[in-house]
Amino acid sequence: MIKHIFTLIWNKKKKNFLLFLEIFFAFMIMFAVFAFIISNMRVYYSPLGFDTENIWTASLRIPSSSDSTEVAQMKTLLLQELNTMPEVESASFSGLAFPFSGNTWSTGNNDNGFNFQTCIFFSDEHYAKTAGLDIIEGRWFTEEDKNSKYFPVLITKKFREQCFAGKPVLDSLFILDDDGDFGEFVKIIGVVDHYKYHGEFAEEQLGTFVYTPSTSKDTYVAHIRMKNGVQPDAEEKLNKLIASTTKRADFSIRKLEQRRIQSSQSTWTPMIALMSISGFLIINVALGLFGVLWYNISKRRSEIGLRRTVGATRANISFQFITEIIMVTLIGIFVGLFFAAQFPIMKLFDIENINYYYAMLSSAGVILLLVLICAFYPSRQAAMVNPAMVLHED
Amino acid sequence: MIKLQNVSKIYRTKTIETVALNNINLEIAEGEFLSVMGPSGCGKSTMLNIMGLIDEPSEGSISIGPNTIKDYNGKPIAKFRNENLGFIFQSFHLINDLSVIDNVELPLLYRSGINGKERRAMAEEALTKVGLKNRMKHFPGQLSGGQKQRVAIARAIVGKPSIILADEPTGNLDSVMGNEIMDILLDLNQNDKTTIIMVTHDETMARKTNRLVRLFDGSQVS
Repeated sequence: MIKHIFTLIWNKKKKNFLLFLEIFFAFMIMFAVFAFIISNMRVYYSPLGFDTENIWTASLRIPSSSDSTEVAQMKTLLLQELNTMPEVESASFSGLAFPFSGNTWSTGNNDNGFNFQTCIFFSDEHYAKTAGLDIIEGRWFTEEDKNSKYFPVLITKKFREQCFAGKPVLDSLFILDDDGDFGEFVKIIGVVDHYKYHGEFAEEQLGTFVYTPSTSKDTYVAHIRMKNGVQPDAEEKLNKLIASTTKRADFSIRKLEQRRIQSSQSTWTPMIALMSISGFLIINVALGLFGVLWYNISKRRSEIGLRRTVGATRANISFQFITEIIMVTLIGIFVGLFFAAQFPIMKLFDIENINYYYAMLSSAGVILLLVLICAFYPSRQAAMVNPAMVLHED
Repeated sequence: MIKLQNVSKIYRTKTIETVALNNINLEIAEGEFLSVMGPSGCGKSTMLNIMGLIDEPSEGSISIGPNTIKDYNGKPIAKFRNENLGFIFQSFHLINDLSVIDNVELPLLYRSGINGKERRAMAEEALTKVGLKNRMKHFPGQLSGGQKQRVAIARAIVGKPSIILADEPTGNLDSVMGNEIMDILLDLNQNDKTTIIMVTHDETMARKTNRLVRLFDGSQVS
């Protein structure tokens, strides 16, 4: 029967060509949309590696010309004051490159026998606790690290897997920066699970946390972890406390959660637009298919009548029509898959190949499901044709 | 043997009731060649459809051989039609997108236990019988009316049915082609002992058959 249906499709190739084209283009557009959405959603669902709820930030904008001792005193006092606030759970300082800030500090070299490019995060001894980092090996910085012979650093798991796979990393030394900004070598004291600081939709980069004491001039972004259920006036209290301690008014307090939402919006908007467009496309394809099938069946009533007369059951008729459309769809999908496969083979975009494979599977699945749904009712109608009636219509 | 007992067919709408067949009692013996005549709209085709089990009588019953037909839509009746009945139509009803051989193979597709090679061999044999083996790769659009009807006959006999129902098989053909078709049907009846029931408007053709039944306004008049 399958061979017979294939013969029928082949003999009607001119009539089926438009339907094939519709399926092919629908597949290609859906593939592109799904590849975009899947790659973004896979990144979105990968862990951030830090908390955003109840974390507030304040950039203190300390000029580089400021006196280091005064800055150290002011920052020590600020941390003390913050920690005495009943609403505050913990507080810390980091450099300008912190989650959703849009700032990046990166370095890299191939002096260690491997090539790498890593983001640098200047963080004090309290940052891991405040940000909620997950340390999977070793430890976070302590004040004793100030006296360390080598700059103590923590690297991210991704960095470890890419550059130190299968090797012990704790207490190992490597050249972080060939300009010597961090001495000749830095010493790895721990590994952080994840740190997707660019945003929820940004692929995680290799990351290195460099110890910078809380008294340093280089870490002037305050991170404050508030306790759950703080009152709305907490922000005003915090604002007054920072202003009175730092004697400055040119700072603003922002919630990390707000920054997260804002940074993700630039991806959500085009993604929702694309999803809407593909939704309309799916509806259009469905209506088109439904129309074509309905028309086909009305044009082939006498053929249906004849088949019923020579022994086809209603199920045979439904099966034939559904199989015909599925076969044309599969041809369209296979041609589409051929073109879609060129994307991962030729690495046309900076997207992981697995995303293309998922996009191929999902597009093929959605189109097949759509075709099945659209074919179901017309095929059922075809099966209900009364042979005695239609054979006398000509 | 085909037996129609008190068969009536009434088409009802909200406003009108049309009696297509009125209390028909008819027995057709095995191997008989029966022709049915009557003016247009007298119920000839309706009677043929009921005997072909593609239409259901409003009243009465039909028996074919030992079987009295009760369910007209189920799988067993489709199987019965496929194995025992062959159909020939005035307008041929060939599938234009299939070649001659594929058209002839059609009934065998719905019969279990026959593989592709066997189907092809049986279809070729049927086409040889109607003298069209050399045209088996052609498409219906490339054939004359007489050739199309011979393909339809090959399709009707490919499954070796015991009964052939022919609805005005020569109606769309000129007299030469009509005679050719009639000769094939007579040959099937005489040599293969196939029971044939033929609806026709052509008195000459009807006279060549064993028995003639006339219908008028849904009733049997002779």
